[in-house]
Amino acid sequence: MQSLKKIRVVVAIVVFVLAAAVFLDFTGHVPPVLTTVLGSLQLVPAFAKLFTGLTIASFGFLFVVLLTVAFGRVYCSTICPLGTLQDIVIRLSGRMRRRRWYRHKAAPAAIHYALLAASAILVVVGSMALVDLLEPFSNFGRILTNLGDPVLVSLNNATAFIFGRLGIFGLYQVPLLHTQIVVVFLTLVFLGVLVYLSYEHGRLFCNLLCPAGALLSIISRISVFKIAIVEERCTNCGFCEMVCKANCVDAESRTIDFNACVGCYNCIDACPTAALKFEGLGTKKEAVKPVAVDKPRRAFFGAVIATASTLIFSRNTDDKGQGPRVLSYDESRGTPVTPPGARDQKRFSNLCTACHLCISVCPPQVLSPSLFEYGFAGIMQPRMNYNVAYCNYDCVLCTQVCPSGALLPLDTAAKKEVQLGRASFVKDDCIVITKKKDCGACSEHCPTKAVKMVPFEGKLMLPELNNEICVGCGACEHACPTTPRKAIYVVANTVHQKAKKPPVQKLENPLESQKDFPF
Amino acid sequence: MDRRTFFVKSIGVSALAGSYLTFGKQRDLLASVAPPAPFDLVAVRGGEADVMFQKGIEALGGIGAFVKKGQKVVIKPNVGWDVLPERGGNTNPKLVTEIIKQCLNAGAKDVYVFDHTCDSWQRCYKNSGIEAAVKDAGGKMAPGHTENYYHEVSVPKGKVLKSTKEHELVLEADVFINVPILKHHGSARVTASLKNLMGNVWDRGFWHGNDLHQCIADFGTYRKPTLNVVDAYYVMKRNGPRGVSVEDVVTMKAQLLSTDMVAIDTAAVKLYGADPKDIRHIQIAAEQGVGRSDLENLNIKRITV
Repeated sequence: MQSLKKIRVVVAIVVFVLAAAVFLDFTGHVPPVLTTVLGSLQLVPAFAKLFTGLTIASFGFLFVVLLTVAFGRVYCSTICPLGTLQDIVIRLSGRMRRRRWYRHKAAPAAIHYALLAASAILVVVGSMALVDLLEPFSNFGRILTNLGDPVLVSLNNATAFIFGRLGIFGLYQVPLLHTQIVVVFLTLVFLGVLVYLSYEHGRLFCNLLCPAGALLSIISRISVFKIAIVEERCTNCGFCEMVCKANCVDAESRTIDFNACVGCYNCIDACPTAALKFEGLGTKKEAVKPVAVDKPRRAFFGAVIATASTLIFSRNTDDKGQGPRVLSYDESRGTPVTPPGARDQKRFSNLCTACHLCISVCPPQVLSPSLFEYGFAGIMQPRMNYNVAYCNYDCVLCTQVCPSGALLPLDTAAKKEVQLGRASFVKDDCIVITKKKDCGACSEHCPTKAVKMVPFEGKLMLPELNNEICVGCGACEHACPTTPRKAIYVVANTVHQKAKKPPVQKLENPLESQKDFPF
Repeated sequence: MDRRTFFVKSIGVSALAGSYLTFGKQRDLLASVAPPAPFDLVAVRGGEADVMFQKGIEALGGIGAFVKKGQKVVIKPNVGWDVLPERGGNTNPKLVTEIIKQCLNAGAKDVYVFDHTCDSWQRCYKNSGIEAAVKDAGGKMAPGHTENYYHEVSVPKGKVLKSTKEHELVLEADVFINVPILKHHGSARVTASLKNLMGNVWDRGFWHGNDLHQCIADFGTYRKPTLNVVDAYYVMKRNGPRGVSVEDVVTMKAQLLSTDMVAIDTAAVKLYGADPKDIRHIQIAAEQGVGRSDLENLNIKRITV
């Protein structure tokens, strides 16, 4: 039993390092399978993904639930990278060395469950706001994507600069196109709160604000094995309580509020008489302090059932939303273009926990965090930002890493038929009209030739749109040199449409006809 | 001219004057490297890209006429698009491999390859086959996807493009080999060596917004590549420069070599099947003295493999 803590620490570090690598890797070296497995184990995203059908994440979710049913909130101290981040802060706070022992405090369960219920109710009425703001994996992802990434990239760029001066190009400059200053600020605020809470109050975040913690806390009520204090071995020394960062051990009454226990096993490790151990159902049951089912919990269960059923039923009642229509450049800015695999802005926004994993893996960095573009309901969810880049036609990475099912997996062939939006061309703003000079940047970049150059006034060529085959990748908008408004821009399809395949005609091969030199 | 002197010069004196001095000298240096070529233009047909280069460069006196021992060589193929080689969007990797090998055999110290890509740079480098080709041959694939790699230079003979940001590798190169692929181009009509140099600079939006053809020609006046090799093995005949499918591409199995960008582009456009007079940037470049478009008066070597 004493070795449980060591195992916990090792597993936590491994998961933490891998999770950090998944978010921080800007080189594309982290294998996608790692991202998938790690994402599948994250409770809230995996729970959301259940509503998109049976996937590997369903097994991840099942695994976490079964693990909790067996041993309580093991998740919080191993699988949850935000939990480990707090543990690092707790460790750095030097709390133990400075003898600032923890004291038992009844977990603020009523507030915690009420927050979970509120989050769930908001989801039912179509807002992910609370989940986005509180969900641990997403917060961890946002901390790494919006704070960790800029720091790491700056270090990389400084090193790459020095190496570059020496003629070594193994390291290269990395741009930070997806960094949005307000989102960086919001993430900093959250990190500040998290660091303060963990520095001063241990794992209070997990027992006060965290929706995953609340869910697991409920499940842990029926855990088969729970940590208990063996009365006859206990000497009332109180070490277990002093080291409990979840404040759930009451040494005096020799009881443990197992619902609040985050499974760190510090108590087991600290006990000089090995009086703490996992006990199975039925044995020494009286040693575990029974916790009364209070009203907030009842309210919560009701809310969960309501949420689940509403979500299930709402799947079939997706309204068609706004179809493609022509908007002016400024109007079009009001509706964000959703990433490939989102299918429908409403569906997407109801599932996305804003973990920013898609943003961190996007090679051209066209995916950027929004602020309120999806409304407050979809705060910080990703959108396509064609100001800084455009979607690479053959790339499907974002659709494959999404842990919550907000982006459904697409293969390259399928993605090429998804129309995220439709290009809109304002002839009067085009360089060819205003300056009477050739440009064609839009058509050059267009992967389907939905924008094609046609003869216009003598030898000039003017863009012409065929929206049927436009995929809404934003290449034209990104490349268009007109300022301040782009002459060609993508108007979002709030419900993704099917793009027709570009027409393909055979060309005759002039190798036979033209063997000679025409000069 | 090493990196340090370059930086000290361009920072120390006023940036424009400094870079003008630097490049004035560099051009002289290059001129002294390349001896008078026996032919103004070499055209090869009918072989694989590497074989055609071997024949072509031989006719120009061998790679040794362009690359000397210990020199730093920079090769600029077209790697603009995330497409496979058979799509004809990027320079043939076989050709790039062959050029690098020959440069290294001639004693080049380092051979660098880069492009300022349009699609995501790492995907372009990988899927074009160029990155693997460069590594195979012993060259170094260098990045060009952020502004840090580019430094302001003045284009003294430019009419519209007076200054631009050029990739630092090209600034430091003893030998610069321009290796475009010949293809259709929605904006420039046909792209070959003059247009390929647009991948050497950072701000292409300015070119597009301020008379593309004039800017292409202007940049042609900035620096003459040591050698141009136009890859016309796969030639995209429509939907360029990116292309939509392999159906846009014909297998032409041709290659052109010249030190004169106007001459080689004029020949390339004919090979492509268009009239060079319709390609405005080539006409302007000829008028601005970048090179000669009068193919009939040039000494052309034609080789069929």
